[in-house]
Amino acid sequence: MAAVTHPSTGPQLEITQTHADVTRDVVATLERPSRGYLLLLFSAVGLFLVGLTTFGILVKDGLGHAGYTPPVFWSVYITTFVFWVGIGHAGTLISAILFLFRSPWRTAVYRSTEAMTVFAVMTAGLFPIIHIGRQWIFYWLLPYPNQRYLWPNFKSPLLWDVFAIGTYLTVSTTFLVFGLIPDVAAVRDKVTGWRKAIYEMASVGWQGTDNQWRHYNRAYLYLAALATPLVLSVHSVVSWDFASAIVPGWHGTIFAPYFVAGAIYSGLGMVLTLIIPLRRALRIEHMITEYHFDNLAKLTLFTGSILFYAYAMEYFIAWYSGNIFEQTTFFRRAFGPQWWAGWTMIVCNPFVSQLLWFRKIRTNLTALFVISIFVNIGMWFERYVIIVSSLSNDYLPWAWGQLNPTWADWGILAGSFGWFGMWFLLFAKNFPIVAIQEIKEMIPMPRLRGGHH
Amino acid sequence: MRTMALVLGGVGAGGLVALLALGGGRSAAQGKPAPSDSMFAAVITDTGSLKGPRQPIFFRHDIHAGEQKLQCQYCHYSVAVSPEPGIPSIQTCMGCHLVIAGNEISAKNEIKKVRQAWTDKKPVEWVRVHYLARHAHFPHQRHIKALGPNACTTCHGDVTRMPQVFKVNNVNNMGFCISCHIERKVSRDCSVCHY
Amino acid sequence: MSDESPSLDRRRFLTVLGAAGGGALAVSGCSTSRVEKLVPYLVQSEDQIPGVATWYASTCTECSTGCGVHVRTREGRAVKLEGNPEHPVNKGKLCSRGQASLQGLYNPGRIKSPMKRTGNGTFEQMSWDNAIALLASKVGEAGAKVGVISGAGRGTFSDLLAEWTAALGGRLVRWEPFDHEPLRAANKQVFGADGLPSYDFAKAKYIVSFGADFLDTWLAPIENQRGFAESHGFSDGDSAKMVYAGPRMDLTGLNADEWLPVKPGTEAALALAMASVVAAERGRPVPTPYTVAAASKETGIPAERIERIAREFAAAQPSLAVAGGVAAQHSGSTELCVAVNILNLAAGNVGETVNFAGDLGSGDGYAALAGLSAAMVGGQVSVLLVHEANPVYALPKTAGFAEKMKKVPFKVSTSMFLDETSSLCDLLLPEHHALERWDDAAPRAGVRGLMQPVMEPVFSTQSAGDVLLKVAQKAGGALAKFNAPSFQAHLRSRWDALAAEQGQKDTEAFWRSALQRGGLYGEAPAAPPPAGLATAAPVAYSPPAFEGSGDFVLVVYPHSLLHDGRGANKPWLLENADPVTKITWHSWVEISPATAKRLDVRDGEILKLATAHGALEVPACVYPGIADGVVAVPLGLGHTAYGAFAQGRGVNALDLIGPPKGDFVSYLSTRVAVTKTGGYRKLASVAGVPRQLGRGIAEAMPLAAAKKGLTLAEAYFEEGHPEHETNPEREVEALKGWSEAQHKATKYGNYTGEHPQWGMSIDLSRCTGCQACVTACYAENNIPTVGESEVLRGRELTWMRLERYWEGGEEPGEPVSARFIPMLCQHCGNAPCEPVCPVYAAYHTPDGLNGQVYNRCVGTRYCANNCPYKVRYFNWYKYNEMAWPEPLNLQLNPDVTVRARGVMEKCTFCIQRIRGAQNQARLEDRPVLDGEFTTACAQACPSDAIIFGDAHDPKSRVAAAKQDARGYHVLEEINVRPAVTYLAKVIHPVEG
Repeated sequence: MAAVTHPSTGPQLEITQTHADVTRDVVATLERPSRGYLLLLFSAVGLFLVGLTTFGILVKDGLGHAGYTPPVFWSVYITTFVFWVGIGHAGTLISAILFLFRSPWRTAVYRSTEAMTVFAVMTAGLFPIIHIGRQWIFYWLLPYPNQRYLWPNFKSPLLWDVFAIGTYLTVSTTFLVFGLIPDVAAVRDKVTGWRKAIYEMASVGWQGTDNQWRHYNRAYLYLAALATPLVLSVHSVVSWDFASAIVPGWHGTIFAPYFVAGAIYSGLGMVLTLIIPLRRALRIEHMITEYHFDNLAKLTLFTGSILFYAYAMEYFIAWYSGNIFEQTTFFRRAFGPQWWAGWTMIVCNPFVSQLLWFRKIRTNLTALFVISIFVNIGMWFERYVIIVSSLSNDYLPWAWGQLNPTWADWGILAGSFGWFGMWFLLFAKNFPIVAIQEIKEMIPMPRLRGGHH
Repeated sequence: MRTMALVLGGVGAGGLVALLALGGGRSAAQGKPAPSDSMFAAVITDTGSLKGPRQPIFFRHDIHAGEQKLQCQYCHYSVAVSPEPGIPSIQTCMGCHLVIAGNEISAKNEIKKVRQAWTDKKPVEWVRVHYLARHAHFPHQRHIKALGPNACTTCHGDVTRMPQVFKVNNVNNMGFCISCHIERKVSRDCSVCHY
Repeated sequence: MSDESPSLDRRRFLTVLGAAGGGALAVSGCSTSRVEKLVPYLVQSEDQIPGVATWYASTCTECSTGCGVHVRTREGRAVKLEGNPEHPVNKGKLCSRGQASLQGLYNPGRIKSPMKRTGNGTFEQMSWDNAIALLASKVGEAGAKVGVISGAGRGTFSDLLAEWTAALGGRLVRWEPFDHEPLRAANKQVFGADGLPSYDFAKAKYIVSFGADFLDTWLAPIENQRGFAESHGFSDGDSAKMVYAGPRMDLTGLNADEWLPVKPGTEAALALAMASVVAAERGRPVPTPYTVAAASKETGIPAERIERIAREFAAAQPSLAVAGGVAAQHSGSTELCVAVNILNLAAGNVGETVNFAGDLGSGDGYAALAGLSAAMVGGQVSVLLVHEANPVYALPKTAGFAEKMKKVPFKVSTSMFLDETSSLCDLLLPEHHALERWDDAAPRAGVRGLMQPVMEPVFSTQSAGDVLLKVAQKAGGALAKFNAPSFQAHLRSRWDALAAEQGQKDTEAFWRSALQRGGLYGEAPAAPPPAGLATAAPVAYSPPAFEGSGDFVLVVYPHSLLHDGRGANKPWLLENADPVTKITWHSWVEISPATAKRLDVRDGEILKLATAHGALEVPACVYPGIADGVVAVPLGLGHTAYGAFAQGRGVNALDLIGPPKGDFVSYLSTRVAVTKTGGYRKLASVAGVPRQLGRGIAEAMPLAAAKKGLTLAEAYFEEGHPEHETNPEREVEALKGWSEAQHKATKYGNYTGEHPQWGMSIDLSRCTGCQACVTACYAENNIPTVGESEVLRGRELTWMRLERYWEGGEEPGEPVSARFIPMLCQHCGNAPCEPVCPVYAAYHTPDGLNGQVYNRCVGTRYCANNCPYKVRYFNWYKYNEMAWPEPLNLQLNPDVTVRARGVMEKCTFCIQRIRGAQNQARLEDRPVLDGEFTTACAQACPSDAIIFGDAHDPKSRVAAAKQDARGYHVLEEINVRPAVTYLAKVIHPVEG
């Protein structure tokens, strides 16, 4: 059939298939896994087990195995925590905000990014438990009535965290699951045997009647509206873990917007890292096209530039404030014992992102993939630098010290990637990673060929 | 030398108590109407049936504190001056039991054990009934000061009716402490007990 | 958390009541069972109330100073040592080494019963009866061929030992390292008095120390510190100046206002030149004139500087010059001591600040020991008894004492530990620890301190006194006359005699009061009139000659905590950093920054030190307080025996030193070649960055400004640093009251009717950085020692730490000085740690403390991140299970929770003492009185730099101290409203 261009989406997006094709192609992604997929899955599970073992040892002996070196009382674990919370944000941005803005290019990618969000937050949620000294009483951070008449301290940013993360997980999970219903139904109609029974259940009796569609669209809209503010709130709260402390290098009013931008930036990095291989693996190149990447890249460039500004501003304020504690911190951030971390962050984030001014790079998947890796590394180091290098030299020079991460730090870090990867891969194989019905919405009604009179 | 003095002292005190005891015994014998669960404690042979941990010696608070009306502080000597109530030394027991041998067989047997411990110079190892976590400090003397010498029952229950001591309140439960502190409008500052 | 901590604390203490020996006088049935049961006393001892501390007065035996101690016991266990306020020497204070005596008592390395050497060289246990019988027979056979080596301490036991040996016709040597032989020789020469004078630092208005580390390791450090704080501190509105001359700055040097980095061994020239100037000033004759120019040439100190100091010295009356330490341990040191005596005479200090009435105790010197070892080689010794001495370790290998000892057929040791010497012996008769036995000590004329057992012995040991008596009875013959039933009885008879001397009829009362007060503190007999300057023997200064080649002179000095090595088996002393270099747990070699640059050496690089006598590999410590061309290694480590803590740790610097020549071991005698090995080991140092970086942490002001009563800000202003202007008044006003408001708002915890607000003041002009407070804190608060590997990761849990910041010394030639500042939880009124804790484990108590509720803490560590003073410490591992191997756990303070892993801990202002005092006050229906109790650090501080109390009570000492013009808060600008006020150090700016 002839290629048609969809009026609302402009010239870039080419839909070349019929509804049937779409369903077929997507359902095809759920077929028997390839060897490559299994390899990925097993390595993910392997990493997860590494993390699990490390955690076991930490619980047995205490946190001492990790590289903590006073005055650095937070290090790799909190870094990784912030990193994963950040990852989530791009997902919500793409799936919720762009939905509200009716930006059609999101359709092909939003499902995967949404899944990424949920699993990233699931990962982040583990860290508050992993990093505390007595993991078995983590629930003391929750407000629950008890005979001791004790409540948690609502003044503590750590408590705000608990609520922020909790909310984020609930909302984004609901959003994902709800959005899946029609697609699951579509899959249900294609598959056979025991799998059918499962999808039957998961599709909660979806028939695709007008009535159902009407309710569905409304509800989806509301959920999107509900998720949208979280993009801003969650990471602002996380940033206050630091901003509300008096540690030079943490104590900044710029932190909330700075962290939100960083979060989305890192999230987009992760999206690219995931989708570029995924579309090939699942053979859906024709659904997630250059056009999508171009847009993602632009968004990356935008947030990256905000970071550029934030970094510059941090150094400027340190100098301008005339506060010797701030000044020392930022001087040592660039030229202190941990200079390498400082420069990694500066190179990987603001500078690398500037490459995306060029369309050639934006549309060159290899380049994009490489850049996305840089972004991931850079953003992890941003948190590492903010946390570790600020702590290692605060007020009393006598108490200064340098952190040397150990196997226990890396073990947990690896484990977190394993845990995330495991869930994401399982999801990709068992649920439509591309939103079937939204793609279909973009396909014009087939024209009637000239009939007889 | 010093020991002798102590022992003699003990015997002296013991003698007095012994008289009291006899007195108490007789008055009860004259069939004064005893309260329902017998102020004049019944002979108990099967300690297994009783509540609370079984002790190496079947020491009966209901007889000593209840029937004979010994003051708690006669044995728990440091309760009013120290955070710790004090466990009576065997010497304290012997103060009385040099002269009191018990008037029926089961009592005789138990008292024999005490005298044995004294002669063997081997202290009795009582099984702890009330235990407080190590990170909580409970100054007994402050509570005796505030609540009076008979405040013991507030936490330990009425031992004068316990043949064998058992836990009435879970004193190791912070809620138990706090509720009382709220009731009496006294300090609820953490660092009063936890340091 | 507590369920995780098996360590013995309050609860377990209760369960071992049966084991409680009931202290000195009570007789108790002693079952040592430690089951989780309630074990009553058999006999309730009169002087023990469970849950209430019982104190005994005794005497410290860690060095020959003989300080008086009060021993705190709980349920029959000694749990803490504090100074005895009545004792004239230490007046209620105690140094780290004295406090750590407790870890000797409970040391896992103690010999648990008598042992004899078997054929295959190992030791096997035996009964006391057999052991004593064996010794008796051997002594019987040996007769006059008995040799005895004992420590230098004087007292009834050492008298008995002397008589006992004399009765046999054997020979006794009282010896210990650093025995001040040259000083005694010099005193004989100049004053005809063979003894050690007592030096009155409190009286002196100008002090010059020629290498004497009088604040730390020389003579009576505690007494010296107290005196020094009096004169050098600013409490009396003035401050004496102290000058330190020597190639290496020790703790005393770091406290000096001026350091003269003289060439090693040339101090005598300086002293003589000064004497000449002073004598000239005073118009007195001087026996051996010596020109400043010559001295300048010898010492390398500019002539005008010597001139100036000499004049200052002469101007101040009275002044004081002392010589000691390493400067008094080399070939020319007798001359030095003579020269210093002359200097004191010239300045008219003898009789003023130098008093021979004291006659401090000391040993017989090395010559005597050399004589005995010669006899040992010559076969005139068939039984050797070693008591409280470890010559095999404490003498240079080149002295070959071990070999000489092997020549003796039968060797007996009464050592508590299997140290280098006792492990060579054939029979081990482990001695009671000082806290388990009877004895007394006569450290100086007029002072006689009693020692009494404060608890049942931990192991099956016996007091050496009883052993001597029992052996005497068994052996009979010449020894038969020693027929006292026990050493206690013997001691008592001596004291009855003493009572007679004192004209006391009622010996019992005399004895009781002595027992209570910890001894007899009379006046010293009148001093012999000091010889005049005219009669002083002339002395010839000869430039020092150092043997061997190599471009550096080797200085071997006593470690300030491990001293001559006897402290090396006590974890407190190993983990408590050396006050000068701040290094823990291992040895090091100090080299000057210039030298380091020249050799391209950085901290921790392993250097090879080679002399004619041996070679060692030690990590380098670049130390600005040491002269170029000199390297220094501390003594104390490198043990080959002496328990698990000491063994195989660090190096023994004595391996580099040649055999002792003449009368004493010369610790400054040889040159050493220094080469890089390329190896590296991170120094286990507790120091971060030792510079203040302009942050005004340890503040100081010049004497002139202090005298004018200026505040720091005003003082800076005078010096023309306008940027140090304080906030405008209104800002200060606006900031005020944060803590007050917070304080008033609280509605709970109304303990004594009216809320106190606990506060502290620390006077930096009195603090000498000796770290006695740190050890006291470890002892009082059950702080675990974490060991070298954890210190390397900065995880030591020093609730109280002494920060030492360098001033100057950055460019070569610029004078360097140090500032000490004790850093502990500041108990901020507006504390950053409190709001960030999600579970209220860190919170503000109504009486103004930063509460830390261990059992509520989940370990997020946010509080530590947010603490600007970094005084919060985290339990990374189960330190509570590692730090106190049995029976060391018996030392734990039952009033303080032992923290489990995963929990944050920190200084609590000794809240257990606060609550204890409040409980007592409530029982007596009275408010807590000022000075009724104090924190462990304040109690221990030898220079009384720390004052603790209720800042709300306007009459309290601390409230007064907080009003001092020198008062300031560290990091005032971040408005955390600390409860700790520091009083700025007062310095003597060096002009020219």
